[in-house]
Amino acid sequence: MDSTIIETFNLSKIYRLKRKGKKILALNDVNIAIKEGEKFGLLGPNGAGKTTLVSILSTLIQPTKGYAIIDGYNILQKPNQVKNKIGLMLGRDMIYHRLTGYANLKFFCKIYEISDYKEKIKNIAKELNLKKWLNEYVEKYSTGMRVKLSLCRILLLDRKILFLDEPTLGLDIKTTNFIVEKMKKIGKTIFLTSHNMNVVEKLCDRVAFINNGNILKVGNKTDFKNFMEKGIKIDIGIYQKKDKLKLELDQQDFIIKTKVIENGLIIYLKERKHYKDLFSILNKYLVYKLREEEMSLEQLFLKII
Amino acid sequence: MNFFKILRRSILKTSAITEKNIQMHLRWKYTILTAYFAPIITILMPIIVLNKFFEFNTEFGPWTAQNYIVFIFIGYIIMLLRRLVNEIPAELRREKFYKTLSALIVAPFNRFYLLIGYLLSELFMISIPVIIFFVLIFLFYPISFFTILFVISLVIGISLIFAGMGFIIGIFAVSNENIWSIMGFIINLVFWASCVTYPYDLFPNEIKIFINFNPIYFIIDILRWTWIENDIILTITQHPIHIFVFIIFLIIVPIVGVYIFNLIYKKFGISGY
Repeated sequence: MDSTIIETFNLSKIYRLKRKGKKILALNDVNIAIKEGEKFGLLGPNGAGKTTLVSILSTLIQPTKGYAIIDGYNILQKPNQVKNKIGLMLGRDMIYHRLTGYANLKFFCKIYEISDYKEKIKNIAKELNLKKWLNEYVEKYSTGMRVKLSLCRILLLDRKILFLDEPTLGLDIKTTNFIVEKMKKIGKTIFLTSHNMNVVEKLCDRVAFINNGNILKVGNKTDFKNFMEKGIKIDIGIYQKKDKLKLELDQQDFIIKTKVIENGLIIYLKERKHYKDLFSILNKYLVYKLREEEMSLEQLFLKII
Repeated sequence: MNFFKILRRSILKTSAITEKNIQMHLRWKYTILTAYFAPIITILMPIIVLNKFFEFNTEFGPWTAQNYIVFIFIGYIIMLLRRLVNEIPAELRREKFYKTLSALIVAPFNRFYLLIGYLLSELFMISIPVIIFFVLIFLFYPISFFTILFVISLVIGISLIFAGMGFIIGIFAVSNENIWSIMGFIINLVFWASCVTYPYDLFPNEIKIFINFNPIYFIIDILRWTWIENDIILTITQHPIHIFVFIIFLIIVPIVGVYIFNLIYKKFGISGY
């Protein structure tokens, strides 16, 4: 778990638009390091540079500047060795719709030289509840089934590192949870990109936020929780003297913001250590409710960008 | 790694691509049936026109009323083989839209396997009409066993050249559709001036100059000469330029095809989803 398996060095990508010679900076000096066995999540809105980063790391496209080392191999100098280490899943794509599920998996097993693939296909399809659909054409599959088949494909390849680009895009909650649970059990290094906070939160050990090609923040869940605590949202229930309380709280340094709601106030406490000071003020009022609202990754993401 | 291991790996991966392509073609079987009949429509007009000429004992070089069916039927076979030039780009575009091309690009295998895989699957798909038409030509104009073997070698060689051309056009079909459409037009022009459907001697002198610089003409023509001369040594000695162009293109086009595929992909990637 200690050795770094993916490391990027000032990775940049510029897309040149044909019209007016305009350039788009898709990635800007990205430096990240991922340890072996780690489940790393890359969060960002559409167009943030997530797919570009995955495409570069999986040798699909070349960076404009910088390089990356994957399991000891430079992606620019030894792309074939890198290809032997990685598996790539681009959402529900990368499968042949005109073939049956079984024919798809068989084809990729042959290309990746997987031995005893018949048994392996059966087992993995059974695990992902896809066995009875294996002999049907993929064009008849639902979105969820296509994702499951893509997951089957990537798991069969038995690669050290898996790049998963938006694997749960367009899926319902039940299927998303199913896929996440399956991915949790994979004992491989996973590089996941998504704009679904819940998926990343449930699956990943560490998370990076990316926007406009820049990595805004990298950290584990604890780091983010600590970061979140810097603006603790508290719901205070109070029937009387609402405005007076608001006025008093607004004068305190440890209060970031206050907002009056129907049955009380919403306040943002700077840090948890200021609870004592807050209680000393609230003691003077008839407070019937005090609830700290945990910030979701979604709120955190909005806060960061 | 020893030679046999590499050979086994090459066969395994090439056969995987071939099998996959055949299965995909057979998903919609009528499409391939119509592809068999389309060249028949194309050769109908030359049959009518040439037949009219031959009624007046006209001759176009070696082609007479007795043997022009060899010319026409070989033309049909060439047009079936031409599918390689058109189908490989079409197939690569399909792969592009389903992002399976990305899956192939990140897979650890040589692009030659891809080229040969496409070639073998296309040859398999057109094998039935090709065999039928060769049998028909044989019935009209029999040739020796050795000539048959030489003809088969030439057909495989022509297929490889066409597959290489298809591969070159194919990479532009996935990276720059402007260049792809221009190349498609040039290919149409080159095939028009390659005497597939009408004999060389029928063309006016101005167009003959263009034909004389057209390598596809030589590549196709050698197949016809081999059949009607029915003497391999004679064909090689009488048509050294044809043989030279054929061999050079057989070596260069597939290698250049794979090289350009890798080069263009590396430089421009896939665009135009």
